[in-house]
Amino acid sequence: MLARVAANFYWMGRYLERTKQTIRLVRYPLDRLVDRTAGEIAVAWEVVYRTLGQTPPDAPESRAEAEMFLMTDAYTLAGSLIEETANPESIVSCWNVARENARQVRSHLPLPVWTCLNQGFLWMRDIDLPTAWRSGPSALAGEASDRLRHLSGVMDALMYRDDGWRFMVLGRFIERVQHQAAFLGAWVELGRRERGEAALPWADLLRICGAYEVYSRRYSMQVRQEQVLVFLVQDPELPRSLRFSMHLIEEMLAGIDAAGARYPLAPPHRMALRLAAALEVENLDGERGRDSVRFFRSIANECRRLHELAVAAYLEFPFAAGQET
Amino acid sequence: MEPRFYDEMFENDGTARAAGRRMVEALGGLAPEDLAKLQESVYRRFLHEGITFTVLGGDEMTERIIPLDFVPRLLAAREWEHIERGLKQRLAALNLFLKDIYHEGRSLRDGVVPLDLVLGCPQYRIEMRGINIPHDVYVAVCGTDLVRTHDGFAVLEDNLRVPSGVSYMLGCRDAVKGAFPDLYRAHRVREVSDYSKRLYAILSSLAPSMRTPRVAILTPGLYNSAFYEHALLAGEMGIDLVEGQDLVVHDAVLFARTTKGLQRIDVLYRRLDDDFLDPVTFRADSALGAAGLFHAYRAGNFVLANAPGTGVADDKALYAYVPRIIRYFLDEEPILSNVETHLCREPDGLAHTLEHLDELVVKEVGGSGGYGMLVGPHSTRAERAEFAERIRADPANFISQPTLDLSRAPCFVDGRIEPRHVDLRPFVLQGRDRQDVVPGGLCRVALRRGSLVVNSSQGGGCKDLWVVDG
Repeated sequence: MLARVAANFYWMGRYLERTKQTIRLVRYPLDRLVDRTAGEIAVAWEVVYRTLGQTPPDAPESRAEAEMFLMTDAYTLAGSLIEETANPESIVSCWNVARENARQVRSHLPLPVWTCLNQGFLWMRDIDLPTAWRSGPSALAGEASDRLRHLSGVMDALMYRDDGWRFMVLGRFIERVQHQAAFLGAWVELGRRERGEAALPWADLLRICGAYEVYSRRYSMQVRQEQVLVFLVQDPELPRSLRFSMHLIEEMLAGIDAAGARYPLAPPHRMALRLAAALEVENLDGERGRDSVRFFRSIANECRRLHELAVAAYLEFPFAAGQET
Repeated sequence: MEPRFYDEMFENDGTARAAGRRMVEALGGLAPEDLAKLQESVYRRFLHEGITFTVLGGDEMTERIIPLDFVPRLLAAREWEHIERGLKQRLAALNLFLKDIYHEGRSLRDGVVPLDLVLGCPQYRIEMRGINIPHDVYVAVCGTDLVRTHDGFAVLEDNLRVPSGVSYMLGCRDAVKGAFPDLYRAHRVREVSDYSKRLYAILSSLAPSMRTPRVAILTPGLYNSAFYEHALLAGEMGIDLVEGQDLVVHDAVLFARTTKGLQRIDVLYRRLDDDFLDPVTFRADSALGAAGLFHAYRAGNFVLANAPGTGVADDKALYAYVPRIIRYFLDEEPILSNVETHLCREPDGLAHTLEHLDELVVKEVGGSGGYGMLVGPHSTRAERAEFAERIRADPANFISQPTLDLSRAPCFVDGRIEPRHVDLRPFVLQGRDRQDVVPGGLCRVALRRGSLVVNSSQGGGCKDLWVVDG
């Protein structure tokens, strides 16, 4: 596969995942508008912006002002994260970039995949935030989420499992690990600062990660912080757990460099295996739990390094090392 | 009395032509709302599938959908067979001509075509002189523009460099077939959907070696107006769509940069103008091609389709000599006629053009896309005066032709069916030892009432062409 094409698949995967994560995040404070206090809503926005590594638009100076701002200006904040094309993390921006990458590789994509992505683009291009806001603040994010689910289903059903698929899934899950680690870190850190269940309940964290029902079945309806973290980090069967994601990353890299074709393993593959091991053996349940913020930060950083290794090994035209095949 | 314009659907007495009778009945049975729904359905299809062309304006890039008219143009099979023979004949002669002017130049010595017209043409690539092209195929893909008047079909222009539009032919067919499934079946329309398969067969037949060739399409990239077409063809043929940045030349061999190292390319179907192919040989500021590409080509290590320097044979001035070229190289009479053309480089042609500016269409020799031309009957006195100045200043840069009474076909415009002027661009393929023409083409339509300019950049659209029994 052309290295440039692989890069397009990779970035398409990353940006689709980023769209999904931004949708998931932005829905949280918007859903809270109905029945939560101003302080709780403010903390929710803080989680969102800290995860994305951004400061809210026109961020005020003092904490008191910040809470008021974050509460009353939900419309502005949501607009910035949904439709603001100047914000590279907004849902519209991420979808546009994913589509631009897909456009370059549309000769490799089944027509329904491209059509679905393009229809989403056309819908987003014509978003009317004021009208959508009137019918429910999270209506737009909900619709975007439905379109993304539809697209994921079509891709799952139709895409050929070749290197294009592998690079797309690789991008998607590297993005997911980076994002999820930043999100969990922000949640733990802000939860600790707030010192109470009310501001950032652990059950909410499970719901945001689509894992509440499974957690209840697996553990109990009594939600315990330690178990939540173990579940979201180390469960091998939960699609949003870090371990699950890292396993998929490793699987994709093994497919890209087929078993036995390269020895020693390519640098990204070695790093993925090392990260997977770190995730499996980390003790999140006991005394060391207090270090979890640092742990999540290091996972996010390591994942960034993994991205750089993958880019250097496969996507930046590695012709110096390459031979005619 | 015979109407001024030939009507593709109706006889002079207003009755439907035999090939279109079923279509006329079907359309007559539909209410305006139903027609509007059909138009909307084909438009939606183009929109959702992103069948677009890119328009650059300043720093902005916008994707536009080419207007598609859902009423197909119908052509009887016997008429098509005549066209097909004429197209094949023309391409065979032009390939022989190209070989000749880049080698011994017999036709130039014999005065078939003026020497200075060829050597003075900016599209004549001196770098190509003496290079032996595999199988002598200079032009593998040709798009020939045809028009029809009461006198029959005539060639308006040959496109021998990077002819585009085949994706609209395929897109129109899919959309219109979906809109009229029963009529389509009943008409037993000749298939065009296997164009990519035919193209792949032609391209791979040109490979310089006997092993299974690696074929790729070279695109200028996402910002090129025909990028959709490049991607479509690459996808349908299952080959790589490469950009200049994907290519590297090593030891006079062309490679693509892949995730698993360098992979050799045998045939490159380039959709990039000559100037941009290789910054070492052609334009030094080109970032769209690959350095050393022409060197590898000269060495015979891969094939370019079409070859550099083919533009000399689709020059608007040289066009006037194509009938003579056919007679000279094939010893046959041209099956398809040319449109009467006056060369302003010749004193008689210049005088005729200046005297009849209000009746003629004047074109720049190197112009395209409907730009840089004067349609005499639709021009103002001031425009004609300005054009006359330009012609006098550089006569060799202009030709003139009579304003043609282009045929008309029914189109759905502003809520009703009305006739509009049309042309046709069929695509002719030339392989190692055979020629191929898909029975259809890009049918362009001037959607503005009274307009004769069918180019999409000038408000034109497209429609499907059905070759049917008859």
